[in-house]
Amino acid sequence: MSTEGGELERTLGFLEAMTLGGGTMIGAGIFILPGIAARNAGPASSLSYAIAGLVALLAALSLSELATGMPIAGGSYHYVNRALGGLFGAIVGWGMWTGLMFASAFYMVGFGQYIVAPIPGFDGRHFVIALGLLGLTLLVGVNYYGTDESSALQNWMIGVETAIVVVFVAVGLFFIDSANLTPFAPTGPTGIIATTGIVFVSFLGFEIIATVAGEIKNPGRTIPLSMILSVVSVTVLYVLVMLVSTGSVPIDVLADSPIPVSDVAAVSMGPIGVAAIAFAAIIAAISSSNSSILAASRVIYAMGRDGLMSDWFNESHDRFYTPHRAILATGGVTALLIGLGLRVESIIALLAEAASFSFLVAYLLVHVALVVFRRADPDEYEPTFELPGALYPTVPILGGLLTVLVISQMATLIILIGSGIIGLGVVWYFTYARTRVVGEGLFRDLIGEAPAEPYRVVVPIANPETQHGLLRLAAATAHANETEGTPELVAVNVVEGARDAPLQNIESDRLDHQQELFQNAHDIAEEMDVRLQTRALVAPETSTAVLELLAEEDADQLLLGWDGVVGNGAYTFGHIIDPILEGATCDVSLVKLSDGSIGRPVALVAPGQNASVVARRAFEFATVEGTVPTLLYVQPPDATTEIDSVEAGRAVIDDIATAAALAPDEYDVEVRVSDDVEATILEAIEGYDTVCIGLSHRTDSSGILYGTITESVALNTSGNVVLIRGGSRGGS
Amino acid sequence: MPPIGELTILLPVDVSEPDPPTLDVLPVLRPYEIILLGYFPVPDQATPALIKQEYGAEAAARLDTIAQGYPDVTEVLVFTHEREATIDRVADEYDCDAVLTAGDTDHISRILVPIRGDANIDRIVSVTTELLRKNAATATLIHSISDSGESSQAESLLRGTVEKVTDAGIATDRVNWQIERGDDPHQTIVSLADEYDIIVLGETEPSLRERIIGDTLSRIIDEIDIPALIVRDVE
Repeated sequence: MSTEGGELERTLGFLEAMTLGGGTMIGAGIFILPGIAARNAGPASSLSYAIAGLVALLAALSLSELATGMPIAGGSYHYVNRALGGLFGAIVGWGMWTGLMFASAFYMVGFGQYIVAPIPGFDGRHFVIALGLLGLTLLVGVNYYGTDESSALQNWMIGVETAIVVVFVAVGLFFIDSANLTPFAPTGPTGIIATTGIVFVSFLGFEIIATVAGEIKNPGRTIPLSMILSVVSVTVLYVLVMLVSTGSVPIDVLADSPIPVSDVAAVSMGPIGVAAIAFAAIIAAISSSNSSILAASRVIYAMGRDGLMSDWFNESHDRFYTPHRAILATGGVTALLIGLGLRVESIIALLAEAASFSFLVAYLLVHVALVVFRRADPDEYEPTFELPGALYPTVPILGGLLTVLVISQMATLIILIGSGIIGLGVVWYFTYARTRVVGEGLFRDLIGEAPAEPYRVVVPIANPETQHGLLRLAAATAHANETEGTPELVAVNVVEGARDAPLQNIESDRLDHQQELFQNAHDIAEEMDVRLQTRALVAPETSTAVLELLAEEDADQLLLGWDGVVGNGAYTFGHIIDPILEGATCDVSLVKLSDGSIGRPVALVAPGQNASVVARRAFEFATVEGTVPTLLYVQPPDATTEIDSVEAGRAVIDDIATAAALAPDEYDVEVRVSDDVEATILEAIEGYDTVCIGLSHRTDSSGILYGTITESVALNTSGNVVLIRGGSRGGS
Repeated sequence: MPPIGELTILLPVDVSEPDPPTLDVLPVLRPYEIILLGYFPVPDQATPALIKQEYGAEAAARLDTIAQGYPDVTEVLVFTHEREATIDRVADEYDCDAVLTAGDTDHISRILVPIRGDANIDRIVSVTTELLRKNAATATLIHSISDSGESSQAESLLRGTVEKVTDAGIATDRVNWQIERGDDPHQTIVSLADEYDIIVLGETEPSLRERIIGDTLSRIIDEIDIPALIVRDVE
């Protein structure tokens, strides 16, 4: 297999992203809301749209940077979750899902309104709601069965509706009567800001680009370009539509109309205009609602991936391969919301504003998330699109303030409903998600106290089966060196790939595997009470990446998993391990764990540079199981008696132990007297679970030197083997 | 005529189907380098990552089963919304010369090669030549003209093309040419296909009409039973 488990194809290009973003934005927002906007702010409602556009643009800028740093599914939810942790993640996740459903309901009621309008006798609210529900059912059905490659149809629909709106604006400009534009702002600035809150839902689309980031080609370029371009162009369009609408038709007429833009078209383009606008409005509602349903499923998937939502929702239909449960759930709640329209008079305004509220809160948190990411600067965060110095921190600060300002002016009922949804997210987090969340927020790293001087053990992990043992050993050794600094583990996973390659399929694949690895790592770290940092790296060569990391982190120790193979063709231990051994200046341990537990270790010691490190390490590893290591030394026989030889051997071991800072009760001693060191050792180590041997520190042009004894032991032992080498920095 | 070296063939297979398709032709392709692309079509509604999570192992196992007995085959598994885009990308990545569609054939002795006079013609010739080199087969090059059309141009095109094949070392008795008359070239190819074991077709940029109404190639492929080797137009 070329990539473990299969590759994920990115299929959405710039055009698709634009139609997704821009197309969703030209939804019912532009066809229905002008009436309500006019009622609430008069002709100044064009300013409301402009301000809403600004808020959206600022959010799009922050989101663009975050999205190019982490181009996988989930949108705003994902970045807030990573930056601020599960609680805020749950709030935004639920907020986005409900926001999308409110928006979807809003689009479908608008759809109903535009259909009944030209049909005399049908304009009761029942018909509107019924049609909305009908349309929704069809959409849910289509999404349940699944569509393939529908982007061509989507592009076509969006193209047509955009063309119609542009023509409407172009023609309408000639019909503007300035008399209609005065008084310009009858409700004053508070009215304008309040209206911004209502119409903000019209800018939902750009978010969807971020939500499907995992499927966008060349995300580093496409995402920021399409997000910013779509917001800017749509804002211009909206402001013009509002100017034309408020200019061509008296405000009161506009304010009372359920199909305001159509009525304006009647003035400027006659019945053809009316029909065209109605047509555009209907397809706009359908395409926007469809995008919202698709986006909602992605959000649910992203939440499930991070442990914030049950995977039950994400199971695909076994014939259609669609996330049918998520789709049905989304459709069901949306239907209820549409149904509310039977009871609530101003349902459209309510739905629109509630959706706007949810997303305004989400964007506030997105701005905060951006700041957190910039401050914490984790290694895996390398956005291709970065806000230039002039824009940071202006954008997130201004963006955050504006969202708060707009929210403050929203209707009390909406604030209540919105707070209720936030409350739902909070409750959900504390009851369901808290114990299942994978990955802590970076925020904790920021506010936690920086350790004065950590004792750092770097552990590359790649294999879930071996990582447990490795991490336990690492934690044990870190703890044992507490006097040198706060124990800290750095678990690193390297994916080999070109560093600058467009983040093609690597991101998504790696995340699944890494989630598992890092989740295990966190569990162990918590159990053993050590700080854990995780590093996810993409580099052309694993060994180089690890060496760089060691230098960067000023590591005290490195623990490498090893398969026990020695003398492998051109390499001593392997193409990854050899360069690391040659380049690392800290203590290094190569660990072959054939059996999960360390058990009783024996350390082979002999006078030499490494001996004390070997003894020390053996002792530290033994603490995992609460045993003590046996230090074994084979003493060459000399002229004196055997007993004296044993005594001499003991003395050697004691010296080494002292150098290793071991107290007499922290180790056992075994001395053998013999000429045949190799055979004696092999026989002596049989009763132990783990063998610790020193690796020569010398390297020369022939590569890494190791003794024949090392090779012999490695090849002939079935238990665990640890090869240890002290660092050249003057280790412990 | 650009030498092709070892012929690299992309073989796309839908791994979402529980029953693997007819790949009787696989043994015949042993002399060539085969890239077995298992694609899993993902509907717009689902994230490929999710589908991979749920069906990845199953799909990989199916791919392994298909490739059983062919240790040199390179297996590639992709979860995709767009099959065609994936085929193009993987074909580029592995530098494939042609894409093979599945069909009913377990030997190659008669090869049908419709010639259109495209820019792609040299590559079509190269692929045909490679097929002839490794199989005891004959190739028939055809060109369609209308019932009342004039044949001299067609004849010189076909003769010239045949010469390219024989120049590359193929015996003259193994390559022949035929002018087919008829008003519907596609129908001609489809009806002729029954008499052959494999057809070599050139991929071309779809015309605007084809983009809207449908892929000409896939129409032919849908209607024939034999496998088609579609030569990629790399220019």
